[in-house]
Amino acid sequence: MKISLNWLNDYVALAGVSNDEISRAITFLGFEVEGIINTGAPKLDLVVVGEILTRTKVPNPKKEISLCTVDVGPAGGVKSIVCGAHNCDPGRRVPVALPGAVLPGDFKITQSKKYGHESQGMMCGPDEIGLPAGNGLLILDGSPALGTPINAVLPPGDTVFDIEITPNRPDCQSHLGIARELAAWFKLPLLYPQEKFRGLPVDVASRPDLLASVRVESPEDCPLYTAHVITGVKIGPSPEWLQRRLTAVGLRPINNVVDVGNYVMLETGQPLHAFDARKLGGASIVVRRATEGEKLTTLDSKERALSASMLVIADAQKPVVVAGIMGGVDSGVSADTTDLVIECAIFKKQSIRATSRRLALSSDSSYRYERGVDSHATLENAYRAIDLIIETAGGQVVGPAFTVGSDVPWQREIVVTHDFITEKLGFDIPAADMRAAFEALELTITREEPTVHPARGPAWTVGIPSWRDDLDRPIDLVEEVLRLYGTEKIPATVVSSPGLVGDDDPIVLFNRRVTDYLVGHDFHECVNYTLRPAKEIAAWCTAPAATELALANPFTEDQSHLRPTLITGLLESLKLNQSRGVAASRLCETGRVFIEHNGQNLECAAVAFVMAEPVNDRSWLKREPADFYAAKHHVGALAAAAGIDFARQPLTSVVAPTFGWQTGHAATAGQIQFGGWSASFGLVDLALAKSLGLEGKIYAGIFAILPAKISGDATRRRFAEFSLLPAALRDLALVVDAATTSTEVQKTLAKLARAAVGNAFALESVSVFDVYAGQGMPEGKKSLAFSFVFRAADRTLTDDEVNAAFNKIQDEVAKTTAWQIRK
Amino acid sequence: MQDQLSALVAKATPELAALQTRPEFEAAKARYVGPNGELTALMKQMGTVPKEQRPALGKLINETKGRVQVLLDAALAQIEAAELTAQLGPAVDSTLPSPDIGPGTYHPLTLVREEMCRILRKVGFTVADGPEVETEYYCFDALNTPADHPARDEKDTFYFPASSRFANVSKKNPDEKYLLRTHTSSVQIRTMLKGKPPIRIVSPGRVYRRDTTDATHSANFHQLECLYVDKNVTVRDLKALLDYIFASLLGKDTKTRFRPHYFGYTEPSFEVDLSATHLPKVKKPWIEIGGCGMVDPTVFADVGYDPEVWSGYAFGMGLERLAMLLYGIDDIRYFYQNDLRFLKQFA
Repeated sequence: MKISLNWLNDYVALAGVSNDEISRAITFLGFEVEGIINTGAPKLDLVVVGEILTRTKVPNPKKEISLCTVDVGPAGGVKSIVCGAHNCDPGRRVPVALPGAVLPGDFKITQSKKYGHESQGMMCGPDEIGLPAGNGLLILDGSPALGTPINAVLPPGDTVFDIEITPNRPDCQSHLGIARELAAWFKLPLLYPQEKFRGLPVDVASRPDLLASVRVESPEDCPLYTAHVITGVKIGPSPEWLQRRLTAVGLRPINNVVDVGNYVMLETGQPLHAFDARKLGGASIVVRRATEGEKLTTLDSKERALSASMLVIADAQKPVVVAGIMGGVDSGVSADTTDLVIECAIFKKQSIRATSRRLALSSDSSYRYERGVDSHATLENAYRAIDLIIETAGGQVVGPAFTVGSDVPWQREIVVTHDFITEKLGFDIPAADMRAAFEALELTITREEPTVHPARGPAWTVGIPSWRDDLDRPIDLVEEVLRLYGTEKIPATVVSSPGLVGDDDPIVLFNRRVTDYLVGHDFHECVNYTLRPAKEIAAWCTAPAATELALANPFTEDQSHLRPTLITGLLESLKLNQSRGVAASRLCETGRVFIEHNGQNLECAAVAFVMAEPVNDRSWLKREPADFYAAKHHVGALAAAAGIDFARQPLTSVVAPTFGWQTGHAATAGQIQFGGWSASFGLVDLALAKSLGLEGKIYAGIFAILPAKISGDATRRRFAEFSLLPAALRDLALVVDAATTSTEVQKTLAKLARAAVGNAFALESVSVFDVYAGQGMPEGKKSLAFSFVFRAADRTLTDDEVNAAFNKIQDEVAKTTAWQIRK
Repeated sequence: MQDQLSALVAKATPELAALQTRPEFEAAKARYVGPNGELTALMKQMGTVPKEQRPALGKLINETKGRVQVLLDAALAQIEAAELTAQLGPAVDSTLPSPDIGPGTYHPLTLVREEMCRILRKVGFTVADGPEVETEYYCFDALNTPADHPARDEKDTFYFPASSRFANVSKKNPDEKYLLRTHTSSVQIRTMLKGKPPIRIVSPGRVYRRDTTDATHSANFHQLECLYVDKNVTVRDLKALLDYIFASLLGKDTKTRFRPHYFGYTEPSFEVDLSATHLPKVKKPWIEIGGCGMVDPTVFADVGYDPEVWSGYAFGMGLERLAMLLYGIDDIRYFYQNDLRFLKQFA
């Protein structure tokens, strides 16, 4: 809200306080000062009123130049001044800056030669003395005395503070509200405007022809409605002081009656509305809900279609105002209006807010009603408006006057103790200061009594004024005391921190572990948006899943769905770097993904990475690019960070087109809906990558897990003994079908080997060490070579016992499998 | 005999020194000291020598044997050295750049978040986490947000259709709608409902606002909030925490100030300003960094904590904003583009 300092001065004497101090006070009272605008001329020395005596043209090809003689009064005498303005005609009185004057913009005036003539000063246009720009010299009307300092002639400047008012303080949506706060801060008295009109006199004339009835059909939306009639007004421009105030705070003056309505709203926070009484059909006002489909053209010339939830002010036939928001074009005050109905009412916040939203129409009035208007000052504010209308537009109040609805008497008291406030603050403010703070804010102390424990200071019963509906509990008063004491004075201390058992959330530990791992493996950590476009995720989840991931109210089309994977974001980051010519290969990210199962979404923690072949790799020494097994290795490490032993998990090779992965070159493990985690890794579908404009092969991996499944507090590991004796090694090569997986063979061999060694000693491992297909191998076959490691805990194994076991394994392979042993 | 021994040494000296390979060495070794070697042959002649000469000759033979062994050792050492040299290839140009990519980098938001968590960990705050998809109860109701508060508006908050179900995000009321959390304060509520005071947590996380993306706004961004619940927690304690955080982050001379403000879930509430004299690209003496306050008794009552017994404070701030201030970044969109020229600057 814009607050004018001149206006504030009507209620609190701030003349001796600098703008900086006021700004600081507003800030520490709890309102943000978003801007300070100074209007009017600054204090100007050596700039005085002068009268142009003569004007002679100075020949100049480019611009009209005049040489003038100017009388600047008895002290200065007559000066000779060169002037480039078009309107330096003799007889005019203008501001004259004499040598030594400093004009805004640090412009120093000196006596100097201009266009070949000595110039003893400068005649000024409005912009040169800090006023809004005009055309030519500023002509001073009203023949001010020659030599008068210019500040004495110009209207005083003003300072306008643009203040953000927090939603809990609707009382401060007004100059009086802010004045009250500043009066409390600076410990100055607050002067309220004194209404002259105090209600209808007994003998007043009654004009039911102008307003016969006021009926409120929807009292839940309009708890209080007042209407007064004024006859014989003369519509015209407002007086200058009123116009200046409205202009200063950004309102355009309209006419005296409308301006008074705005003025009283900005003064008190109470919106008002003035009707032309003769335009009210049936001389009646009905406050009711609109009927569905009713229409009203509002003051902004737009036709509004009303609905049954909207409150309107209607006459006998039709709606004339969208209640509390905006008037209609037909019922408003116009140049020939002579009789007025002044509405001053209270409307329910929620009703105004809902209507304002549905019509996409807001106003200074609706803004205040939405935040709350003090219903206990309504009549007084109506009287204030009546005073000002009579002052500026003439006329007189006639009967009847209407007040519909109850002004329930306001009473609220809060009991708070000095000790309670001190306990909440953690430092002591003297009881007298607390008391003074309450009183300065017009929170009246109705009782003060000692508490049971006298050392703990008194207990106060504090009366809360009607405009402070936000104060309801003792804790609310703690803030009031602290605000006025000054939050800058909260004493410093050290943090005391009694130990609490507990560790960071398992998700946090997981994210930290996997990020450390990936960054340690030369990945660059990325952060991408969670919300993705529909067409992007279509490649990465089923159509029903995509439907479940959709927002109800996306803001833009490219951010309409929750992400089912992190890989799309990483591909986008790769693309951005590639298209900017930045070499990017390894990227990673952690974050939430959303996985659909049977029509339900699961929010999962996830980590993903991509490894792209370097594009245009011009390195002097070539490195092997990443491959499937690198991706597998990383995914295994990421799974381990969540407590999943990846090596023991069955893998499913991607053998048909599957969400973003290349057939035959990718695999998946786990399923969120069963084990609580899932992993996919391998080559990103080549056609997909190409369609995204990405160059080269991209290997990627993602691991996702339900937050609840991350084993954070894993039980502490126990040490396992290992043998210090030498191991015995044997190798076995098998010819198998090309489609046979190494895991399948390895598992069989391990089983056979364990059976073969029995309890005699241990099979430590069986692992594949060679894979061969091609020359020398039959079509459709491949060779897999395995290394067996045997060891005993208590002795060095002899060749004989190992050979016996190894032969047994080979016999079993020959007997029970289709695999051929290569000799 | 003596002459023969001298001649042998004289012959062996250049011959052994010239050996290049291991097979050559083995052959030469056999020629001299092998079973059929020359020196061995001479030693075998000892038997033919008169008895009185034998001690002297024996000594001479041993000396010769020692000298030959020295020559052999030297030859072997030379061959081994040559073999090692052969493994090396030409000397490297140490000034050539490594072709390996890297090192990896942490995202600046991670760096700032982790630094904040470390600072807070030192005074006993552990990191809490909660779902990003939330319900109206945890995001608004429990935080004392009035039913018609603008923050709940579909204009400002992302909602899911009434039919949407999130199996692992619990609802308080069956008919409330799912939404994307607008602040991490929902984690405070879930933590308080799940645990018992005293509580001291920091909850960093991603939040969502239905907003136009520009230099200072982003559809999702990150917040970090602290919550402390205990007996006798005061405004002064809250100020002490803020002073501690920013002195740790920015140096001992950093000051904070509180300006009274309004938030629905704290009373009293404050906005926190930071003395900005040593921050890059800030031309004001103070800059707003977050909001804080004493937990409103209504919030405690709502999670079943007796407000007469328990008190606490909460503090929250935007992580992007903090990172932008610390690093002098002037556009929030850089955080989400992942241009490597950006990412590599903060490691």
